[in-house]
Amino acid sequence: MSFASMLNGLTKKKVKFVVVGGVAAAAHGSSRVTNDLDICYDAEAVANIGALASVLAGWKAYPRGIEAGLTRSFIMDDRTLRNAPILTLTTSEGDIDVMDRIAGVGPYDAVRRHSEKVSALGVRFRVLDLPSLIKAKRAAGRPRAFDHLPELEALLALRRS
Amino acid sequence: MTARQTAVAAGADLKWIVNSAALLGRRLRYDRQQAKWWGLVWLLTGQLGLSLKAAAALTTVALRGRSSSSQVTAATDPSGSASVVVNLERYESIFLANLSRALVHETPRRRGRPARRGTNGGSLANAERYGIDLDLIRSAIRRTPAERLALLETNAAFVRDMRRATV
Repeated sequence: MSFASMLNGLTKKKVKFVVVGGVAAAAHGSSRVTNDLDICYDAEAVANIGALASVLAGWKAYPRGIEAGLTRSFIMDDRTLRNAPILTLTTSEGDIDVMDRIAGVGPYDAVRRHSEKVSALGVRFRVLDLPSLIKAKRAAGRPRAFDHLPELEALLALRRS
Repeated sequence: MTARQTAVAAGADLKWIVNSAALLGRRLRYDRQQAKWWGLVWLLTGQLGLSLKAAAALTTVALRGRSSSSQVTAATDPSGSASVVVNLERYESIFLANLSRALVHETPRRRGRPARRGTNGGSLANAERYGIDLDLIRSAIRRTPAERLALLETNAAFVRDMRRATV
């Protein structure tokens, strides 16, 4: 159960994704501790949806915050991914949020254009760049996202100075 | 659940739910059961083009029983030529995904006027006023992304262990 195992699993199955959210913020220097991996995936490529669904199913993904066994079994497949643009999941490898677009930035293509490559935790992957991360936090409009803004804006100012 | 959470869980537009409830003369409640009911009505009207009344009636039939079958025939014409079949397993999967998103992401908005974010002195002064330790940020910037993420991994594991120990 770790970010490393999730990132490893996704890259091994050749899922096209960009890390956004708290892990991306930490890669840029944020000191906030996050417990979930947020990714934006390429929802235009049918093969990519299938690959991501297969990885998540392998990790026994289940909607977070829902009591297991509340209803019939949860079907984690490509149809569920296509019909739920934002999935907040708990898995055997850890918590993960998967999104097909990021508010304030756009769909995967735009997110990828505003991302940079990172080598960490034994994996090479892309993370959303800091200015876009700030845009995304502003656009999300959630209290938790707003709380994160002063630190991210200070990070940007210090990096530019 | 809030009104907005109910709409997100239903995968439907909140205004549409409010207006449809008025048209159906249905008392509006914001909870999981209602979200599930409205979600299927939304699908039947939006995707299959059924009238609101027909969709509401079919939804009530489809979600009524605790059928062991994953597929429920909500309506059949008298000759038996045409039926509306609801795949409950599939619908519940999508509903659970939306419900989770509603509970995790759509936390209630803070009431009142939002706190004013000062602009005097720029981002650094604003962060300090907010209680951010700039020295901590400076030391983080000196590390490589790999070092920062390794530290996050360690800290996240510690938090997970603490949570497990207190549950």
